[in-house]
Amino acid sequence: MATLPRTRPRNRRLVSRNTVAGWSFILPNFLGFAALTLLPVVVLFYVAFTNWNVFGVAEWTGTANFRRMWDDSSFWTALRNTVYYAAFHIPLTLAAALGLALLLNRKLRGVRFFRTIAFFPYITSIVAIAVVWNQLFSPEYGPINALLGAVGVDDPPGWTASATWSMPAVIIVGTWRYMGYYMLLFLAGLQTIPAQLYEAAETDGASPWQRFVHVTLPGLRTTTFFVTVLLTIESFKVFDLILVMTGGGPGQSTLVLSQYIYQKGFEENQFGYASAVSIVLFAICFGITVIQFMVNKRRNS
Amino acid sequence: MTATDLSTPVPAVVAPGNRAPRRPVRSLGGRILGYAALALAAAGLLLPFFWMVVASLKTNNDVFTIPITWLPDPVVWRNYLDIWQRSDMTTWLWNTLLLSVIVTFLQVFTGSFAAYGFARVRFPGRNLLFLAYVGTIAVPWQSYMIPQFILMSKLHLSNTLWSIVAIQAFGAIGVFLMKQFYETIPEELSEAARVDGLSEYGIYRRIILPLSRPALASLALLMFTTTWNDYLGPLVYLRSPELRTIQLGLNTFISQYNAEYALIMTGSVLSVLPVAVIFLLGQRYFIEGVASTGLKG
Amino acid sequence: MKRAIPAVISAATALTLVLAGCGGGDEPVDPNAPVTITLAGWSLSSTPEFKTLADGFKASHPNVTVELKEYAPGNDYDTQMITDLAAGTAPDVYVMKNLKNFYTYQSGGQLLDVSDTTSGLGSSPALASYQVDGKAYAVPYRQDSWVLFYNKDLFAKAKVAPPDGSWTWDDYTDATKRLHTGLKGAGSKATGAYQHTFQSTVQGFALAQTPNADLLSGDFGYLKPYYERSLDLQAAGAQPTFGTAKTNKLTYQAQFGKQQSAMLLMGTWYVATLLNQRQSGDADKFQWGIAPAPQFDKSTTGTSATPVTFGDPTGLGINPKISKSKTAAAKAFLQYAAGPDAGKALAGIGITPAQVTDAVTASLFGLDGVPQDELSKFAYAKHTIKPENPVSKHTAGLQNLLNETHSAILSDSKGVDAELSKAQDRAKNEVLNQ
Repeated sequence: MATLPRTRPRNRRLVSRNTVAGWSFILPNFLGFAALTLLPVVVLFYVAFTNWNVFGVAEWTGTANFRRMWDDSSFWTALRNTVYYAAFHIPLTLAAALGLALLLNRKLRGVRFFRTIAFFPYITSIVAIAVVWNQLFSPEYGPINALLGAVGVDDPPGWTASATWSMPAVIIVGTWRYMGYYMLLFLAGLQTIPAQLYEAAETDGASPWQRFVHVTLPGLRTTTFFVTVLLTIESFKVFDLILVMTGGGPGQSTLVLSQYIYQKGFEENQFGYASAVSIVLFAICFGITVIQFMVNKRRNS
Repeated sequence: MTATDLSTPVPAVVAPGNRAPRRPVRSLGGRILGYAALALAAAGLLLPFFWMVVASLKTNNDVFTIPITWLPDPVVWRNYLDIWQRSDMTTWLWNTLLLSVIVTFLQVFTGSFAAYGFARVRFPGRNLLFLAYVGTIAVPWQSYMIPQFILMSKLHLSNTLWSIVAIQAFGAIGVFLMKQFYETIPEELSEAARVDGLSEYGIYRRIILPLSRPALASLALLMFTTTWNDYLGPLVYLRSPELRTIQLGLNTFISQYNAEYALIMTGSVLSVLPVAVIFLLGQRYFIEGVASTGLKG
Repeated sequence: MKRAIPAVISAATALTLVLAGCGGGDEPVDPNAPVTITLAGWSLSSTPEFKTLADGFKASHPNVTVELKEYAPGNDYDTQMITDLAAGTAPDVYVMKNLKNFYTYQSGGQLLDVSDTTSGLGSSPALASYQVDGKAYAVPYRQDSWVLFYNKDLFAKAKVAPPDGSWTWDDYTDATKRLHTGLKGAGSKATGAYQHTFQSTVQGFALAQTPNADLLSGDFGYLKPYYERSLDLQAAGAQPTFGTAKTNKLTYQAQFGKQQSAMLLMGTWYVATLLNQRQSGDADKFQWGIAPAPQFDKSTTGTSATPVTFGDPTGLGINPKISKSKTAAAKAFLQYAAGPDAGKALAGIGITPAQVTDAVTASLFGLDGVPQDELSKFAYAKHTIKPENPVSKHTAGLQNLLNETHSAILSDSKGVDAELSKAQDRAKNEVLNQ
């Protein structure tokens, strides 16, 4: 206890030395980040409370944009669709990416080739993806419905041409496109799980399923957390995929928040309102991410 | 890939038990089952891609037929010659390659440096700052791109390739990813080095950097692909035809020859190939890399 | 940066200005020196109209060079133009593709008052669209109108009488169905008509032709009969469904040019495209013709009446940030582009200029491959053109909403009445109340 008074000034010195060191590490990136991302984002928060029209004239309108949103049924439709997309895209992609990673974490001939294949969808031009998938989904002539017909589905769905099925179609393509990306992160995580744990589990007579639940899943917790955070943000911000696949249609069946923001800002010249919608989208993403961080922290400790 | 355990220098400090040799599949049945599952997954994944390649080898009128034809007849290799004459494919590929390399380099360099600051140096306001980084990932770009564009124009950067470098190179994703990696490296390593009198920079350079070289490779691959595939960024910032990237070029090509789907597919296939090759070459570092930094739960 | 802009942006830009070390504008001193003005265009290699205008202007104004700046095609053009205007990096003269976007640019203060250039241009309705409070903010250089393109060979094959200018929409629907059966009987896979996925193909006609129809009223009942006919034709298989056209990315150029459909309602810009594609082999060489668009009722049919159709003018405006020494040259360019000389030059490449005079019609019909029958000339030259997008604050919002309604109705989800009443509710609560 006698040493306590002496550690205080040392601590203070340590803190200031650490502050200098910390900032010196962060600075090269932070300069660019602050000027090119943070500053425009701060401006966005200001614009959300104005009626800015892209070209300059901006009047402070207080919370008017947010009150308008409350009564805007299109905003709610877009929000609902975004949640719909996220609710299916996140678990599906997680499961598919993990499944692929488990498959490709084996010592099999050609596994390297398969891994590259799994990454193909992610590197293919989005425009080509839209063309190809729309054709595959074509209700009357597409191979997917031909296949469904062959296995005895009498009334195959209309996919992107139907208000009911357009969202499932987009979710399928979204999952197909992104699972390779997350598969790689899982693959990385899997390789770090000590083999001894599996051997020990096997000696104890654990079934493959038990090994998966008691060894693999706990071993992947950090990876799963990281993947879930990225996947959540990506799902809520989904934009280009839907834009090229369905353009939000038919009707408003696949209209999502990012697209609504683009429409209001660039097509209808209401940048203030569009910014306010962005703030809401940001708040949702950020809120969920913070919750995920907290849950993860509690589990870790 | 089978040489994983031998080819990378195992950092002496990582406990040997921590390293995971890939589990060999023992039984023949398991092997066959594995291949079957792989084949099935690959077929599903590749179907659209297969369709793309097939379409690129057809005559334009054969692309859309009812019912769909699965094999090109006759096979039209000409598309792969024509596209070079009818578009500026070479310029597009070169621009995109240049951008991807520069962005990847800057992002990896500054991102990993900053990530170390976030992961290993404790100072007041650190967590808040990191929150700002993660927070901006959650803001859709199209909502702040106008203020950003105005800024860049004042700096006389718009309509230059530098604008794309500037907006991509300092992104938050790289910092986030690298911070996750660094946090899995045992703290004791740095502690020991500190006791030995190494400065933070020394620890970063001598201890952390060698350990994370493979993790950096993985970040590099992801950044390269992201820059390669970016459409909205080049669309907003680039005007001159000689600055077009591959995605922008493909899209103008599509609107120029709106009915020529065979050629469009040819262009798409060609745009994927370079990244596929880089991925194939880089994945050894990529996949091993993550293992040796010990991203563990 | 003359206008009131958000304080944060100005502070930020002031900072960056200092960093970048740049100052104000650079005005050339000598007014007689050669002037270069910049003009925005898109897909320059496949859209020759901008070069035609630039070259034509240079011939009469040798000291002025019009330099073309290439922008992205399609909707991306406006995205790029809006960002450039916001940042002050846009060219001196730029194009407004349609009236829907004109309001954005005009109300945003991004167009110079060009009233003094319009004196010699008469008083076309297109010109009036660009006037706000008695001042003109742009001039039209193109005025396309929607007409009916038809394939004479396919009509003969199906043994159906070709259009004679007397068609109402019911006649059109009936002919499409008869073509469908006739073509099928003759062993052809072509459909009677192709209706492209644009909302204009239904809504443009309905708004222009229906008496008392008003987009801005928020009452969309006038769309109903037009949609019912489209759905009828879809159900009969006489035209590809909306879903097929969307998912298979059908292009109207290939549908009509490759003889997959016997009729196509489209704007007159397609004349130039079709001629080019016949040359390049992207379109078949067949006998074709132009007929007036089908009419709402008999009162506007027949070659002695004036058919009603729609089309937005394509306009040119001047960026207010243009340096003073160039303003005169830019205005002279606008005057030229909207005038008769440019009209003849544009008609020479198959483009329909702002004013269709006899000389323009003669020039266009003198091109190789253009049909020579009287009905085609009549359809091309004589009509009342109403704007597709009446200029107003609410136009963009209403058109976006109606575009969603368009895809909802044609993908046949809930029926015309339900979708239209939903559209009316949304118009009232989301757009017109703003």
